[in-house]
Amino acid sequence: MRTVPAETTRMKTAASKISSFVDRRQALVYPAPAVIGLFLIVVIPIGYNLYLAFTKWTIGLGDPRFIGIDNFIELFRDDRVLNGLKVMIYFSGLSLTLELVLGLLIALYFHREFKGSEIVQAIYIFPFAATPVAVALIWRIMLNPEIGVLNYLLTSIGLPGSLWISSAATVVPALVMVDVWKWTPMITLIVLAGLKSLPNDPYEAARIDGANTLQIFWYITLPLIRPVLIAALMLRSLDNLKEFDIIYTITQGGPGVASETLYLYSYKVAFGFFKAGYGSALMVVVFLIVLVFNVVMNRMRLSAQDI
Amino acid sequence: MPKKMIFLLIGALLCVGMVSAAVAGSVDWKQFQGTEIRFLMNKHPFTTSIEPKVAEFEKMTGIKVNMEVFPEDQFRNKRMIELNAGGTVDGYMIMPGQAKLHYWKAGWLKPLDDYIADPALTEADWDVKDFFAGPMKGSSMDGKQIGIVINAEASLLSYRKDLFERFKVKVPDTMQELEEAAKFFTGKEVDGKKMVGITLRGKGAAATSQWVDFLYSFGGSWTNAEGKSNLASPESIAAFKFYGDLLRNYGPQGGTMLHWSESTSIFMEGKAAMIFDANVFKSLYENPKESKVAGKVGYTTIPAGPAGKVPHVSNWSLAISGTSTPERQKAAWLFIQWATNKANVLDALMAGVPAGRASAWNSPDYKSKDATPDWTAGSLKSFEIGQPQWNPPVLNVPEIRDITGLVIVDAIEGKDVAASAKKAAEEMNKKMEM
Repeated sequence: MRTVPAETTRMKTAASKISSFVDRRQALVYPAPAVIGLFLIVVIPIGYNLYLAFTKWTIGLGDPRFIGIDNFIELFRDDRVLNGLKVMIYFSGLSLTLELVLGLLIALYFHREFKGSEIVQAIYIFPFAATPVAVALIWRIMLNPEIGVLNYLLTSIGLPGSLWISSAATVVPALVMVDVWKWTPMITLIVLAGLKSLPNDPYEAARIDGANTLQIFWYITLPLIRPVLIAALMLRSLDNLKEFDIIYTITQGGPGVASETLYLYSYKVAFGFFKAGYGSALMVVVFLIVLVFNVVMNRMRLSAQDI
Repeated sequence: MPKKMIFLLIGALLCVGMVSAAVAGSVDWKQFQGTEIRFLMNKHPFTTSIEPKVAEFEKMTGIKVNMEVFPEDQFRNKRMIELNAGGTVDGYMIMPGQAKLHYWKAGWLKPLDDYIADPALTEADWDVKDFFAGPMKGSSMDGKQIGIVINAEASLLSYRKDLFERFKVKVPDTMQELEEAAKFFTGKEVDGKKMVGITLRGKGAAATSQWVDFLYSFGGSWTNAEGKSNLASPESIAAFKFYGDLLRNYGPQGGTMLHWSESTSIFMEGKAAMIFDANVFKSLYENPKESKVAGKVGYTTIPAGPAGKVPHVSNWSLAISGTSTPERQKAAWLFIQWATNKANVLDALMAGVPAGRASAWNSPDYKSKDATPDWTAGSLKSFEIGQPQWNPPVLNVPEIRDITGLVIVDAIEGKDVAASAKKAAEEMNKKMEM
């Protein structure tokens, strides 16, 4: 009979120790890789950003110096912060409203059988699937009042051209137009999935009671779809409130500061002017706005589900 | 195909010639064989000209060169972030007038004087005295050379020679004549196109580098004798106002969003009678594949304002990273020395990159092939009379340019320039104290 070498026995005990540890603490061990990953790529950067917000630091010149809440006091003296908030509310309010309304209407239109519906839907999804910076660059050229194709088309059918992104008065609506073109399909997709999962019974009951299409939409579809709409709005607002690619690529915040959202301004301060401390403080404000907006939305979504 | 073969042969012979010429000098070009160096480059005509020849250098020295090229905005951000992280960058392109104060204070610039003086590292025929003195002085800090000039840039008034001749308009030599000529062409139908008089950069911070020539020519300045902002002085306000009015009244629509790419596009489309921008863009205007006005463009210096003609001269330089290792720094120096040698600078000039070396401009080869002598004359004149300080003399150049750019936008939109300039001056003073 052969004896088992002591080495192997020791390895076996070690292995069984590990496996029994895992068995006893499954709730800790299995999510650990994800938790560690999240900690490294989410918690640490946010924490560092928060720390920088209380410092004065020009990148490359010395180390961050703690200055307390001076950066946050400076926020109130800086009129580009107020401008950034205004532009942010104007841009996000207009684009989110339009995307939600159009997205819902188009989803309702697609939510029925018609010939070639799959092809139409596939084409319709295209803007959502395209790379933001690439399409923004194309829009930038199309929106040029002198050499852009939009004014060429308008004037060729006898309409007056617009200054589009080149005038402080029209720049935000022009950017909203691009954002709506790009992101409405996403809302449509989410709402369409929601519509497909709705129960059939309430509709049959309503039809038997003699309700018309508008009444069915208003009293049945809309209340049932509300949680989905709010979820879509939440998802979209996360990106939209800190919209960067489209605005930065097309206008960089111009003309002047007419399309400079708070988020874009914080980027300029941190990476254009190298003032990482003040830039971080601005970033914290944007973070809080997005956070509060989403907490409110989530409350609304939960209460909508209770109905 | 035989033609191609001949070119290849000539190329090969030139390579051999260069290698042997280098071997003949005092420098052992093989001394850093096996070293690998990394350069960050801006997408610039000079880079385009030198890039295909890097293999030649690698063969001659045994040094491996990794060149990474980015468009300007990304380039600036990447360069700063990499240098701040203390990474593996050994050399990079820099516009000293934009970034040298910041980079010098941060310790990212290696002084080059010791290398230049060392015959084991620098060939005598590289000839440091051949570079233009102004840009070389601009590429120095506290008396130390921190970069080697690869080009010199000045802005020129470029105009449609054919139209000025056809309508018998005088080429502007004063600001008043500039306005008259711009007015004359605005709205004129030429070959079925409605013209604008002039196109200029108007996009905030990006416009300041061209507007500054008007600032100086009107007698204004960034700062006064006490080092405080001078943006709200009557002369500076006059420059803002003239520039803004010119673009609003006689320029394309949407002037406040014109960067150089939009402005030059409009000129190359044949929609503008004049453009004021950097002389390097000649290579765009004169490219028949891209430009409808190739061969029809004349060039002259900035028209004289109340303070005369005061253009700015700027330049790009190649610099060595202060954070690299001594051996890689020396290898990087060999690369810079080679890239800025007489032959390579002349080649770049032939490709339209205004050279920072006198020998290139004076070379009989260049003179005999020069298709735009007025461009050559205008450029050289501007280098001679130009002001090397083209950015605000502050540590945080981008921030002050941004503040100044907002006044330019207000001027183009016809707002109250004096009030806007006063506000900008206050901001500027505040930021300079910080």
